[in-house]
Amino acid sequence: MAEFESRLVNCFAIAFPELAAQEIPAVSMGSLASWDSLAGITLISVIEEEFSVSIAPDDVPDLVSFELILDYLQKDYLQKDYLQRDCLGRLSPEDAQ
Amino acid sequence: MNMKLAEALKIVQSAPTDAPPLQVALLCGFTPLHLETFLRAQLCKLFPGRFPVVQTGLYGDLIGNLERVADVSAAVVVMEWADLDPRLGLRRLGGWEPSQLQDILSEASRSCDLLQNAMAAVARNIPVVACFPTLPLVPVSFTPLARASEFTLELRSRVASLSAELSHIHGVRIVDPQRLDALSSSRRLDVNSDLSSGFPYTLAHASALAEVLAGLVLNPQPKKGLITDLDDTLWRGILGEVGVQGISWDLDNHSQIHALYQQLLHSLSASGTLIAVASKNDRPLVEEAFAARDPILRETDVFPFEVHWGAKSESVARILGAWNISADDVVCVDDSPMDLAEIKAVHPGAECLLFPRENPQAAYELLERLRDLFGKDKISQEDGLRAPSLRANAELQHDMEKASPGAASDFIRHIDGKLTLSSQKQPLDSRSLELVNKTNQFNLNGRRFQEAEWQNWLNAPDAVLVAASYRDKYGPLGNIAVIAGDLLNVNGVNGDSSGKRRLCIRTWVMSCRAFSRLIEYECVRWLFAKLDVEELEFDFLPTARNTPMQNFLQQVRNAPAEPHCRLSRAQFMQSCPRLSHTVEESANG
Repeated sequence: MAEFESRLVNCFAIAFPELAAQEIPAVSMGSLASWDSLAGITLISVIEEEFSVSIAPDDVPDLVSFELILDYLQKDYLQKDYLQRDCLGRLSPEDAQ
Repeated sequence: MNMKLAEALKIVQSAPTDAPPLQVALLCGFTPLHLETFLRAQLCKLFPGRFPVVQTGLYGDLIGNLERVADVSAAVVVMEWADLDPRLGLRRLGGWEPSQLQDILSEASRSCDLLQNAMAAVARNIPVVACFPTLPLVPVSFTPLARASEFTLELRSRVASLSAELSHIHGVRIVDPQRLDALSSSRRLDVNSDLSSGFPYTLAHASALAEVLAGLVLNPQPKKGLITDLDDTLWRGILGEVGVQGISWDLDNHSQIHALYQQLLHSLSASGTLIAVASKNDRPLVEEAFAARDPILRETDVFPFEVHWGAKSESVARILGAWNISADDVVCVDDSPMDLAEIKAVHPGAECLLFPRENPQAAYELLERLRDLFGKDKISQEDGLRAPSLRANAELQHDMEKASPGAASDFIRHIDGKLTLSSQKQPLDSRSLELVNKTNQFNLNGRRFQEAEWQNWLNAPDAVLVAASYRDKYGPLGNIAVIAGDLLNVNGVNGDSSGKRRLCIRTWVMSCRAFSRLIEYECVRWLFAKLDVEELEFDFLPTARNTPMQNFLQQVRNAPAEPHCRLSRAQFMQSCPRLSHTVEESANG
């Protein structure tokens, strides 16, 4: 999960180049003036591209801090991981190979 | 491979903010969002010495954005269906009832007329890059999706007419949908993004579109010459082994791809591209092949032929000499990777492309690549003169060498040189700008201009533009020189207002085809006489390739060329050789 967090830090660094790397984990929409709606769209697009995910428009308004986005992505990742294992578990050993 | 958004943002963020800005307008009716980012990134890549600034307009007002555009070097217009009628977009609800289709068509026609007028008005001042709808039409018609309806066909026809009309206007460059299809084959419409932010494109489509748009803003100069191999390239077979009757370029012998290659080269030749042959072969056999087999690429399309058993790089060197251009301006095509590597080692600037003789699909892609490398906006009169004038030049050089030493200058006086000069600044002569932007050797400083920048400068009342064309008994050379500068009134020493005038020459180029004819001296003589100036100042800068200009300034001033060096009328009269051209001013000059 450390690599996961590091990739998200990179996404923030690209969307908000004025931020120092150590500031990123604590950043939120309320604490960063440049995080307006346009920058928010850019950030979400960079994250979608980096993690190959599609974030539902309904979820976007809730993703207003690094911590919340990290949490969201980890849940999404864990869910996908679970589904993948579940699916593989139903296959015969030969099919799984 | 499309550029990623993260990569585009990094490129934009690392652009040098202290570089001269390149102002480009991105005009569309949707939220430009990531298209703006991708366009800036692509412009950063294509204009490394500039800081691209992309101006955008108001949402939903493409025509208004066109009317408001100002102070930019180029305008990029990206139109989508909703710009023709908002009912063709996802964010407005005007109805998709069958009874409304005729009204949508009428509204779209009206919008097409307005867009045509607005784009034509912008194109009078700056280049306009235009892209017509790239997204699928919304399901507005009543037919199943696989069946084209009268409505959709009619709508597409109106857009096609608009596109064709605009293509006739100077300065308008239209995105070819076929090229965009090749780069953007995945899903284009992002419904989520369109509904939430007003940006309708997927990232992949925006990235591909920006690449095409930026390429058209740059509008690169085409390569000047193509050097081709013969065996297993221009034709199938090794001439020395299979003989004249054994080589082929046809369907029956499964060698049609060579015929298509010849056809492309013949077309390039007719469009002003120089074509030469570099082949390891016996010369008489090659001559016999061209005479007996009548290839599509005619012998007269080719100058020169370098046919011998020496190194290919030596052939290329001689061809470059005959053409008087640098390796950067040529493409070499050969089926031998080894020969291409040998050429590349000696001429690193040359673009060396392998002819994939065993793979027609790959060979076809090579044909497309060649068309791209040699593509040009339009065919000019000079394009038809280029190859004949080089042949004539070779003849002239040969005749000059035959003349006794010292008699060369006398020889030049007897070739009936006729120089025609024009000082007309309007309308903009695109050939002059093209010559300025592609000439390297006789070039005062290597400075290149965007069209808007060039036009703005020449609009100044004191700006002077002189364009020269030339012909002699060896044939016409067409437009061969451009001089542009600013006229200044100069006060004499101690505040003496003598009323003397000086021409500060900012740009001076002359085609290498016009060398060795003393045309540069005749141009200077005309400037002193016609403009009534006492002094010329040269905005000279040395470049890697402008040695001919440096040599001329050295000779005429009797001192090394240096930035802002000057030449007085008296100095020129002393150094000028005897000239005997007939000089005419063009009727519109």
